[in-house]
Amino acid sequence: MAWREAAELLRRYSFGLALLLTLALLIVNLIRSPDFGWADQLASLAPLAIAAMASTPAVISGGGGFDLSVSPLMILTAGIYIVHLEPNGLGGAEAVPILLAVGAAVGLLNGVLINVLRVPPVVVTLSMFFILIGANLEVIPQPEQVDLTWMQYLSGWVGPIPGALLTIGFPLLVWAALGLVPYRRALYAVGSNDATAFSAGVSVGTVRALAYSLGGMFAAVGGIAVVAVTSTANASASQTYTLLAIAALALGGTSLWGGRGGLIGSALGAASLYLLGNLFVTLNVGPEWLQVIYGTMLLVAVVLVGGAARARPKVA
Amino acid sequence: MSAVLLRVDGLTKRFGATQALRDASFDLRAGELHALVGENGSGKSTLVKVLSGVQAPDRGSLELFGRPAPLPAGTKAAQKLGIVTVFQEVLVAEARSVLDNVWLGVDGLLRTRVPAKAKRELATAAFAQLLDRPPSLGTPVEELSLSDRQACCIVRALLREPRILIFDEATASLDVATRDRLFGVLRRASETGVGVVFITHRLDEIDELGDRITVMRAGETVKTLDRGAWTPPELIRLMSGSDRVTGQVRETAESGRARVGAPVLRTRGLRLAPGRAEVDAEIRSGELVGVAGLDGHGQYEFLEALRGGERAGGEVVRLDGDREIPIHSPRHAARHGVAYVPRERRTALFDWMSIRENFGMPTLSRDARFGWLRPGATRRRLSRYIRELGIVAADSDDRITTLSGGNQQKVVIARWLASDPRVLILNDPTRGVDIGTKRQLYALLVRLAEEGLAVVMLSTELDEHVELMDRVLVFREHELYRECHRAHVSRNALASAFFGHEDGDGLA
Repeated sequence: MAWREAAELLRRYSFGLALLLTLALLIVNLIRSPDFGWADQLASLAPLAIAAMASTPAVISGGGGFDLSVSPLMILTAGIYIVHLEPNGLGGAEAVPILLAVGAAVGLLNGVLINVLRVPPVVVTLSMFFILIGANLEVIPQPEQVDLTWMQYLSGWVGPIPGALLTIGFPLLVWAALGLVPYRRALYAVGSNDATAFSAGVSVGTVRALAYSLGGMFAAVGGIAVVAVTSTANASASQTYTLLAIAALALGGTSLWGGRGGLIGSALGAASLYLLGNLFVTLNVGPEWLQVIYGTMLLVAVVLVGGAARARPKVA
Repeated sequence: MSAVLLRVDGLTKRFGATQALRDASFDLRAGELHALVGENGSGKSTLVKVLSGVQAPDRGSLELFGRPAPLPAGTKAAQKLGIVTVFQEVLVAEARSVLDNVWLGVDGLLRTRVPAKAKRELATAAFAQLLDRPPSLGTPVEELSLSDRQACCIVRALLREPRILIFDEATASLDVATRDRLFGVLRRASETGVGVVFITHRLDEIDELGDRITVMRAGETVKTLDRGAWTPPELIRLMSGSDRVTGQVRETAESGRARVGAPVLRTRGLRLAPGRAEVDAEIRSGELVGVAGLDGHGQYEFLEALRGGERAGGEVVRLDGDREIPIHSPRHAARHGVAYVPRERRTALFDWMSIRENFGMPTLSRDARFGWLRPGATRRRLSRYIRELGIVAADSDDRITTLSGGNQQKVVIARWLASDPRVLILNDPTRGVDIGTKRQLYALLVRLAEEGLAVVMLSTELDEHVELMDRVLVFREHELYRECHRAHVSRNALASAFFGHEDGDGLA
């Protein structure tokens, strides 16, 4: 019976597993290395956490929703900032709306193509993945370093708070704000059952397209987080977060079938993967084992969360 | 007479080879409860889909509140016009709360049209009308019973304050108590001037609720009758169109009646759904047995059980001379000569493969020598069936999808005939097949039966049962409701049995 109740809890709070994992790993990490630098650690976590959150709205929107183009889009926005904006005197706060607009536009293009062409989202966003990798090579022919800009504060301290909490916090804030207007409910409803949403008069296509656009905008924030922590733009890093982000969001309890999950889970999922990697480094375990553990964790998480979703009370 | 809310005229709609609507015309008055009845496939659901904006008609016009109006494009447009539909499928967003489900689609994406507090109050009030024990508004819908889920769909429709409310067999999923309360809700709604259209297969519902009734048959609205002007036999006659000429194939089929032989398949204590009466049926060699009933009344489950698939209880026994073999899986059934042709051709066909490969799939091992396949052997075996079944194909190496639907169906049948079955089970094999090919299939089935094969066929067309079958098993509410022998099979008798009407035989 305890198992049933656990399943029930996991279904209601889909990020529960990721939360427990994160807390457990955090404690182990803190024990192993007492000089755990919060600001540094959060800043190194930020790109993956944001990539996972950026991938989430598309998955929640259902219908096989997937966004593989998040990772290269992050690098593209980082490249635009370092190669074009900063050298041309647009490196200040004005860069933020520009980068967010670029991200949102690319995401919207994904969403519109999926609606118009009626091809599976994986195909559209995989195409976008390749196109953006090409674009990145064009924008950043060789790795570019940037001198000290304000962005580097985002990997240190901004007053009393770690700067990375601002980048990680931005998507969470937007997401929370969207909970105050009807859009987020519509998104979950579309992901849960698009036929129902359509029959109730919801504009399924618009809702889905906006989900991709939202993800694109979050990816731009991810680009800022990349600049903050590395101060570089490197086209060869385009694919870094693609698969890990999906692993993180699945670990965080977002259903790959749509309609369930959320951004907090994705951030926590990313945190568990990151902390596990950390731990392995301090334990001197080879990176090859890390990949095996990632794979196993992903499988277990999807089975557990998916199983909990199915273990609903029997319908009379 | 009250004002006319809605008038449709001359709606037509074609899906590929099927003319779903030929000429649908009817009007709905303010404050009336208007029943729409007809057999399966008579076009009721298509009519409803056109009115709710789900499908665009090929032709036809609409008048709303006395003025010509464009036909709604999309469910949203229909709802703007005041037309709200509760569909037969229980349409809920499973993972979302009851409250989210009933208000789904009312708000814009950024603008809240109904404040949260009003949402809760209105939803609570609507549920109180409909259910004795309303669910808590925060519960995920997936935790509700089927009936309560459908109640959510009904509440969703009521909350939109429709002027025209359409129920497409929406009572089928409701429990009895909710259904009764729904009728009360509908009566009250109609008193405020709402026009209600409801589709149902239950004559008692029509009698209880209907102010007027429109009968559809074969895509046409045949007649509209006022309350008191109909009797069940009259309705059944209108629905089945028994004044239509039938019986050309019948004579050809009449010839080999003496062919029925020993039993080959028997059900023992078979249950098609938990808690339903047991079905004891016997299938004999050389017999053509029809399986009939309204959609979703257990016919499909019966076929599944016969082919060794899932069942709620009891067993199916294959009789082979003195041997009795209880069938435990489709594979096992196939090994003992029970072949099954499924309803969806696409589940039976390998689209990207050739006609020959599609034909040979289950019997491939016969064409192998020392483990090597010989395509020529398959081709030779196939050519026999191409001839016998009249399959029209240019080259057996062409892709299966180059064939017409009827010919694809024949290839599937040929595939199973090649396994030398003793029982052939077909699930609605003539659906979407043109009339000429249908005739060929009928002739083929009669010939196969004459050769001693037992044929069990589910069909949604009454004429097929009348023309072809030695015996028709009519299912109702997951029980074997009536067994009609050839002499008593008529459109009227079958339709009466479908609707649970007792003295169908006397009507013909």
